Amino acid sequence: MMRSMKKSLLAILAVTTVLSFPAAAMAKPVTVTTSLKDYGGNGAYLALYVTDKNGAYAGSLWMAGGKSKYYRHLGNWYQATGGDTAQINGITGASVGSGRTLEVTLDLADALFDAGYTLHVDAAAEDMRESPNDASVALTSAGAGKPAKGRRYVSSISYAF
Amino acid sequence: MTRPLTLLITSTALTAMIAIPAWSAMRASAQGGAVLPLRSLAVQQAQSPLLVLVDDDEDEAGEYGDEGEDGGQGRISGNHDDDEACDDDEGSCGGGSSAAAAGTVAPPQNGLFSNGALPKVQVK
Repeated sequence: MMRSMKKSLLAILAVTTVLSFPAAAMAKPVTVTTSLKDYGGNGAYLALYVTDKNGAYAGSLWMAGGKSKYYRHLGNWYQATGGDTAQINGITGASVGSGRTLEVTLDLADALFDAGYTLHVDAAAEDMRESPNDASVALTSAGAGKPAKGRRYVSSISYAF
Repeated sequence: MTRPLTLLITSTALTAMIAIPAWSAMRASAQGGAVLPLRSLAVQQAQSPLLVLVDDDEDEAGEYGDEGEDGGQGRISGNHDDDEACDDDEGSCGGGSSAAAAGTVAPPQNGLFSNGALPKVQVK
């Protein structure tokens, strides 16, 4: 009887442990690949951010470029955030050179996919025009691995699980 | 017989208390609300720098310089010594404190990230 009780307790413990941490089972590493055209200029600042199905800003995923005084040239992102650097703490890296490809792997919530969210890229480079929403791609399970074209700086953007 | 049953009921209730808020938050996000559940389930983890940063020195080579002429509207001027000539718009340069680099702190708790690994970046 004691053995069966122990088995029951272990089973209950296993179930409650799994159910107590649903976040771990509802996220996955996602690699976002942003390829830049050979635009022939200096390193580009890129803001990768997400909007919801209503087009409202939902949050930032990555900022390529470390000097906050240039963030105002990433127009849509700046308008949505007011340049709040707290939005990009821990997700900031170097700017990306002409013709280079940025690959960022992020642990993202499953809820971002198939729920109307869209990934956007604002881009800007020295002595060149700003390009808000240079590229965008809907975040869906079916869309993984399918590149979307950019307008000015971005050649393509895609994501993969 | 009653004791295991009691234990089962107790553990189920505990699970429900933890899981239901998470599920309801997930539903709210699926219905178009902000993605919140991860915020409510945020667990502080020890910081371990797992960032893999590769060979991009573009910030030095390709950063906006101090020389150049002012461009037209919508164009970034190379003359960006904003500390001195910060008089555009309402006088705001957007030049507040810099953001923490990836790998030094956890990503923002905006509901987009899980509480898992730190970002990894590579420039090819």
